[in-house]
Amino acid sequence: MSEQQKPAEAPQGEQKLSPAELKKRAKAEKQARRAAQKGEQGGPSQDNAPPNGEPKGQKPSGAPGPAQQKPKVEKQPQKGAHKPSEQDSKKQGTAQQTTMPVRNRRASQSGGGAPREQAKKQENKNVELFSHLYTQPRRQTIEGAPKDVHPSVLALGLQISSYEICGSTARCVAMLNAFKDAILEYNTPAGASLARHLTSHYLSPQIDYLKSCRPISESMGNAIRWLKKLIVEIDPNLPDHEAKNYVCDQIDRFIQERITVADQAIATSASSQIKNGSVVLTYAKSSIVEKTILQSHANGTQFRVIVLDSRPLFEGKNLATRLMHAGLQVEYFPFSGIARAMSDATLVLLGAHSMLSNGRLQSRIGTASIAMAAHRADVPVIVCCESVKFSGKVALDSIVINEVAPSEELLLPPSKTAPTPVKTDDDEEEVKLRGLQDWKEIPNLQILNLMYDVTPAEYIRMVICEYGSVPPSSVPVVHRLVNEGM
Amino acid sequence: MATSQPPTNDGPFNIVQTYQTLLHEDPDLTMPVAAIESLILGLSHTPSTTVSETLDLVSKLTLQLKRSIPNSISLSAGTDIFQQYLIANLQKPGPGGLSGDFENIRSHLVQNGRLFVERAKAARETIASFGRQFIRDGNTILTNGGSRVVGALLRSAAEEGNASGKGSIRFRVIYVVSTDDKDTESAENIAALRERDIPVATIPPTAIAYCLDQVTQCFVGAEGVVENGGIISRMGTYQMGMLAKAAGKPFYVVSESHKFVRLYPLGQQDLGIQQNVVDFQTAKGSEDADEGVADMDVETKVLANWRPEDAVDYTPPNLISGIITESGVLLPSAVSERLIEIWF
Repeated sequence: MSEQQKPAEAPQGEQKLSPAELKKRAKAEKQARRAAQKGEQGGPSQDNAPPNGEPKGQKPSGAPGPAQQKPKVEKQPQKGAHKPSEQDSKKQGTAQQTTMPVRNRRASQSGGGAPREQAKKQENKNVELFSHLYTQPRRQTIEGAPKDVHPSVLALGLQISSYEICGSTARCVAMLNAFKDAILEYNTPAGASLARHLTSHYLSPQIDYLKSCRPISESMGNAIRWLKKLIVEIDPNLPDHEAKNYVCDQIDRFIQERITVADQAIATSASSQIKNGSVVLTYAKSSIVEKTILQSHANGTQFRVIVLDSRPLFEGKNLATRLMHAGLQVEYFPFSGIARAMSDATLVLLGAHSMLSNGRLQSRIGTASIAMAAHRADVPVIVCCESVKFSGKVALDSIVINEVAPSEELLLPPSKTAPTPVKTDDDEEEVKLRGLQDWKEIPNLQILNLMYDVTPAEYIRMVICEYGSVPPSSVPVVHRLVNEGM
Repeated sequence: MATSQPPTNDGPFNIVQTYQTLLHEDPDLTMPVAAIESLILGLSHTPSTTVSETLDLVSKLTLQLKRSIPNSISLSAGTDIFQQYLIANLQKPGPGGLSGDFENIRSHLVQNGRLFVERAKAARETIASFGRQFIRDGNTILTNGGSRVVGALLRSAAEEGNASGKGSIRFRVIYVVSTDDKDTESAENIAALRERDIPVATIPPTAIAYCLDQVTQCFVGAEGVVENGGIISRMGTYQMGMLAKAAGKPFYVVSESHKFVRLYPLGQQDLGIQQNVVDFQTAKGSEDADEGVADMDVETKVLANWRPEDAVDYTPPNLISGIITESGVLLPSAVSERLIEIWF
């Protein structure tokens, strides 16, 4: 009975779904076809979009046919043609995503070598859950940069994209200094006023260029917002050079007030939390945590430091080295040593990329695990964060707000001994797997390299900003007072 | 002891003595208010002509006061508020004629300070009127210590409903009293409640967990409400909070908002005061006698004044369901917002 009903219901359900689904599928396939044509293969018969609501049961047998026949040779030029322009391939990728489930099923059904080829060729290397985070690949050269980007900003962009300037505070300061250079060389065109023209026509391309090098941090965003407001409020009658000098002075003041002095205040207040005999645990590298530890050391407090660190950036090595040179007793643990390290710690000091308005902390990926381990061990977790990094955003997870770094950074450098080629079980074709270096060629493998994660507020005992120590629940209050009122 | 004019009877003004006299004379006075009052007396007694001189004097007196009291947390709430109030008020006048106006400012200050003291006392009644809404028919309330504001709240709940002093709300109270017979503060509250036909049971601190299933909610007082919304209160409050949390009973703190203090402890050892609670001993005597600390003199002096019944502990904010103050019922997280408003 039930068996009889099922087949009867299934097509009905299919038909119900079909208008929207088929439309989507047809669109996706059309895009894929267009892409294929671009790759100098016509293949008009490849996928007949079934507009007539063709029963699904037949379709799999019909569609993979041409796909199977598709010569393997054809794939190579296509790949070659598409790789350079990754945006194109991404477009293709999204197109495939929609059809992906069907194709996978087909491949498993038919079990042939060729369909798998097909899947591999068109596999999207972006993790779908995080697809909103993939931007265009980071700019590594100044090639093709807009002509009106100032040389200081150009240089800064490259430093940022290569992690030479990495921390969110450092990037913010460097950006403001570069903008200062740029503003000094700005001339208001005739018939325009500085207050109206500077931001939209001159600063915007600079900012866009920096964004193309690496997504900007919360502190940079806050600083840019402040700068734009400052420029808009300039009296239009002010002579050009005076206005420019005024802006530069204000930028200097901003750096001084919101970052330099703030850092000192935070370091002073946070270092008082380090007592004789403390064991301070920190993760990766934060300039403000470093300052705090050094200041506490300079005050003569006797304490130990544990630096936990992780791939791919190994920022903690830098911190451990500096602390060691300053004469501190430092232990350096890999991330896997978290449990061991936590059993010794009496205090966890963390830096921040940004403090979110629900009291959560966005920081280098791995921080949440540290905070969780500390919370379990009842070790107080203190976040040191300038108020310029406080954000009005709210995040419940690390998925919505994050930054995806190039996957290649996660790969280990190629080993000297070349691994032996592996023969796949299917003897249709010999696939040489040379380790993760060739991850783009390996089917069903995606590599995700996230930059940040979000630590729940209940793991954070205290947030130290330049206005004092506040619980994480007061972050929005401070943010309202200092970032939105400025 | 009972001299009512401390400034006049000895030459140099003695803030510590004034403070203690004030506390003794008026049992309704809380420590922060007494601190403020003695500072005001100090100000009116000692002539000062400039703003910085006044501020200097206040901070000197504050330090003197803090040094002499073993647990300065509660009174520092008062002195901090007063100092902030002074700074805000003394900076108000414009640049012109500051010196001429100064006497006015000072007298205004002294008067306003008195007003503040009056208001602080009145706050207790406001709190009681807020708090008694939490008490319903058939409730059983767990409380501890001799907190006057909790006493006022419970009395007010007992009287609610009619003017005869016998209330319409029928509730019961379980009072946690320490076993050593020094607990006279709570005796007063207990007697007052029993007089109003409220059944009161007294239990030792060891029996809290045992009676917790009969309890509907807990009310405790506080010496200080710290920045993250936690409280510093009589020893034993922390464990009561923990047990209440474990049993899922609401745990309310009743406190005037002048007890909000700019202190942010991370744990019990981080209160900034010396308490001789954990004292390891062997047959030879105390273990940490040889611990060399820089300012041993001050510490030993303060520790000598320290009595076990003065001991306090810190209850973290995650155990607290609400803080009942004269300006409303706050979540622990709202305390920091209040303090930010005052201090920024």
